[in-house]
Amino acid sequence: MSNETKQPEQGEEYLVPVERYMAAAVRLGARVSNNYLQERGFIFTVRPDGLRIFNLKRIDERIRIAARMITRYQPSRVMVHSIKPYAFKPIQMFCKFVGCLPVTGRLIPGTLTNPYLAHHIDIDLLMVADPKTDFQAINEASLTGIPVIALVDTDSDPTFIDLMIPCNNKGRNSLALVFWLLARQVLRERGELKPNEDLPVSWEEFRVPVGQSQP
Amino acid sequence: MATVSARSRPRPKLYGPEVYYCTSCGSPIAPFKRATHFLCPNCGKYEIWRCERCRREGNTYKCPVCGFEGP
Repeated sequence: MSNETKQPEQGEEYLVPVERYMAAAVRLGARVSNNYLQERGFIFTVRPDGLRIFNLKRIDERIRIAARMITRYQPSRVMVHSIKPYAFKPIQMFCKFVGCLPVTGRLIPGTLTNPYLAHHIDIDLLMVADPKTDFQAINEASLTGIPVIALVDTDSDPTFIDLMIPCNNKGRNSLALVFWLLARQVLRERGELKPNEDLPVSWEEFRVPVGQSQP
Repeated sequence: MATVSARSRPRPKLYGPEVYYCTSCGSPIAPFKRATHFLCPNCGKYEIWRCERCRREGNTYKCPVCGFEGP
């Protein structure tokens, strides 16, 4: 296997210190992997036990780019969705700060495609936490031509995704840190936070409490 | 004899509604197709169009302004 991508050098500017990324296990992938991310330099290496390790530089870069993209849309027209219980709290907190529309739990079919339904939502941008589980939302977005941002793991399918953020989308800590970073970056891009200012809450507040993985 | 690829061939001038082309494959996008369009996520200066096929297959698009490669 060729590792063409290099880990960032010491002293390079990240959104948060590398230790925090490591502590939240953001760069841990899965044992199962498709070749898609590997060819594009998202995967740094493979651990002896088979786990793929993401390139932290690419994760950091993609979070910044995704925040820039979200900023260009009206917040009320951006939907953030996931079925995963570990993503419920991060999504709700993210939407609380950014002003987006949180849809956690099951997405009723037709929500994005059928305007005659009472629960129909008209949006301009969709963000999902896992393309594997949130396939219903991605499928409906593909039918209506809505751009999709997705947090992808090594085993995720790139189908109908327009901007992927490579990260560990299975961990409680990882999801919390990624959504916290996204929220902070979006507010910084909008100018509501200064470039070195943090959110009023720490990233631990975005985590689902232990034992509350089920809604 | 030098061959001209389909992408570099000059396009015929069309009269009527503006025709958009897929940024990934260069094919024209017909109205009411399942294509999507958005401003370049990185620079926001160029409108990227992606046809249904390229979205399904995850084909790479490249912004001609900033060089950003997605998805």
